[in-house]
Amino acid sequence: MSEPDKFRKPVWLDPKQLDTSRPVMPPESQAREFPLQQVREALDDGETADADHAPARKRRGGWRRLFGISLGAVLVSGVGIELYRLLDWSFTTHPLLGGGVSLMLLLLALSGGVQLWRSVKGLRQLSQIERIEADARALLQHQGQGGAGALLRELQRHYRDTPEQQRLDETIRLLDSAYNDSEIVRYLSHHALSDQDARARRCVQRYAVESGVLVALSPWASFDMLLVGWRNLRMLREVASIYGVAPGASVQWVLLKRVLHNLAFAGFSEMAIDAGSAALGSSLTATLSARAGQGLGAGLFTARTGLQAQRLCRPLPLEQVDQSLIKSVAKGIVERLGQSKPAE
Amino acid sequence: MGIGGRLKSWIGDQRVEQLRDRLAELAEQSTEHHLRLAVTGLSQSGKTVFITSLVHHLLHAHRSGSLPFFDVAAGGRIIGSRDLSAQSSNPFPLQQALTGLGQEPPHWPASTRQLSEVRLAIRYRRPPGLRRVLGESATLYLDIIDYPGEWLLDLPMLELGFEQWCENQRRLFEREPRLSVASSWLARVREVDWHASADPALLQELSESFAKLLQVLRSDPYALSLLQPGRCLLPGELVQLFPLVLPTWPAGEIPDGSFLALLKARYERYREQVVRPFYLQHFSRFDRQLVLVDCLKTLNRGEACFTDMQRALNGILQSFNYGRNGFLRRLFKPRIDRVLFASTKADHVTANQHHNLDRFLELMIQDAQRDMGFEGIETRCMAIASLRSTQAAEAQVDGQTLSCLRGWRKDSDEEVALFPGEVPTELPSADDWTQERFRFIDFAPRRLPQHELQPSHHIRLDQLLEYMTGDQFR
Repeated sequence: MSEPDKFRKPVWLDPKQLDTSRPVMPPESQAREFPLQQVREALDDGETADADHAPARKRRGGWRRLFGISLGAVLVSGVGIELYRLLDWSFTTHPLLGGGVSLMLLLLALSGGVQLWRSVKGLRQLSQIERIEADARALLQHQGQGGAGALLRELQRHYRDTPEQQRLDETIRLLDSAYNDSEIVRYLSHHALSDQDARARRCVQRYAVESGVLVALSPWASFDMLLVGWRNLRMLREVASIYGVAPGASVQWVLLKRVLHNLAFAGFSEMAIDAGSAALGSSLTATLSARAGQGLGAGLFTARTGLQAQRLCRPLPLEQVDQSLIKSVAKGIVERLGQSKPAE
Repeated sequence: MGIGGRLKSWIGDQRVEQLRDRLAELAEQSTEHHLRLAVTGLSQSGKTVFITSLVHHLLHAHRSGSLPFFDVAAGGRIIGSRDLSAQSSNPFPLQQALTGLGQEPPHWPASTRQLSEVRLAIRYRRPPGLRRVLGESATLYLDIIDYPGEWLLDLPMLELGFEQWCENQRRLFEREPRLSVASSWLARVREVDWHASADPALLQELSESFAKLLQVLRSDPYALSLLQPGRCLLPGELVQLFPLVLPTWPAGEIPDGSFLALLKARYERYREQVVRPFYLQHFSRFDRQLVLVDCLKTLNRGEACFTDMQRALNGILQSFNYGRNGFLRRLFKPRIDRVLFASTKADHVTANQHHNLDRFLELMIQDAQRDMGFEGIETRCMAIASLRSTQAAEAQVDGQTLSCLRGWRKDSDEEVALFPGEVPTELPSADDWTQERFRFIDFAPRRLPQHELQPSHHIRLDQLLEYMTGDQFR
């Protein structure tokens, strides 16, 4: 053997000594026996994924940060001093009043703490999802085997103690030993999340149609904005909880920010879809009143928001943009308006 | 009152219902479509097993869940499938093959001798969308033919005259291992005076010895693929035809009744009466093509086997591509719009080698793939196993975990565990084709049950189906 490192020789083995108790998915151990070449590739992928990530993080200016911190400090100390004075005053007035006030403050602190904990948890889950999705995207481009073990563990951790856990475990159990990494991601995306996808889709459709109809029927134009905003926030919460993200105010806020950001900088494909839906809308609204047209617009906007939220909350990348949803939303709104016409 | 209501009041409710049903039926008939799948592959590349397994899985696709990547089946949209092969004059022996694979111990189907046809009707629900207007469900008819792979070898002869064919063969016989194996036959052929009047006994003798020579070249250790005329290889079919492998073509006029004239006439007859009808009847009307290639065989046998198979495959696919008179081409280009190259027996290597297998297959078919790409045809390579005969396992060797295969040997039927070696992604150098490096043995099949099929009974058959037929179900 002149070049012993170049390839691995065939080996005969004793069938009785084999370890077949774990026939499927021995991912991490397989990864180690790949030739050096492959290993380096996987690392490359990880690096590029990280590199993609880095610029996304925003860097605030020093002055801005200082302003934020000082503002926070002033507010916190102000509120703290006021609270202390309140307590002091109530106790000097009457011990019972003091007890009552301190009880109220305790309750406030408790509920605030729970809220805070929830929103921190939600944010953590959201960033976890982001990480899983980035990994999954990298794996989709990767043709080799054995890189998916970490992803599976992350997914299982994300769905631990949720109703979806059983389904995920079942799907992972059914994974075939012959699948490569990208096939594993596609399989999971198809089979483990199909239920959640369907629910999220129904949810988005419902909210989109509702907000469209509400806007079309609302008598005050100034209410429209509020209505759409309210329905959208509710929808974001619901979509997030469908995909196993604890819904909280901060999650809602972060999601809304990202969704609007994505919508504002939508890619060409989405522009095309929007153009399509706009054309569709115009042909439909030609027969409707201007207010109905506004309703349709609001409904479509809500549907797009919902789709973006779904994409952000889904732990695995969404393969294709669901065009039919937008169409069915438009149809739903027009149908509902048609039904409600005689009532007007 | 709507139009429907008015119609009903004119001609009665029942009539309207009938009319509606009839219209729906008409719409459905006009929308059912046929898909002809060309399963191309040299002999022993696994065509029969592939067709058996494919049909078996499709027939159970409505409830088995064995095709998770085949969208229409995974989404539960298949209502049912029916095997309509019985309508054909020579139906595919599906039951026979399935019984062989389902009994204990299971065995591979015998190699194919006859052409046979499969026709499958797949009834499916349409996905939500505009086409639903045409009816809730639709039917796809899938036509596949099975035939001896040897017949395929003759397709390149369609565009060659006798003299060109002999010239091609002469070039082939200048190379090893043909040169040494055929030395005595070549010497015999060169002695004969081809302008003399034909001697039937000599002709018979030369044909027989040529057929024997082809058999030798085909079997181990040479295992060559490009052996024409292909029908000479099949037992029971003695084609009295052989190429004139001469250093120089016999000069001068061809006298009537001479050896040369006779051979030439036989060549023309073989081409026109055997090869062309087969091509025209069965090979000129395909929509999708699947090319099955047994890469492992070439890795076991060495470079000569690889180049020979490469030449055979490219020759066959070229004859699909650029037929003389343009008619083959006209038929090929508009019809076959998608080609999949599949390296079969992917279960005979460990799963981490599948990607390498794809790359190795690309090496083999790169010329054909480039031509198809030029024609604007979509192509893809995939490692598949129609029927998985091994089990993935792990072993501890020298302190590290090694994934390996566990199965039963085909020849001795004993259980073995083996790491068969790595599939190279580029052509190994001449010294590297050794037993030391590749040891891809043949495995006996694992039992394929009649019902309750699992995804673990195949490798990527579902992705193959999705690629070849997925767009038809949308």
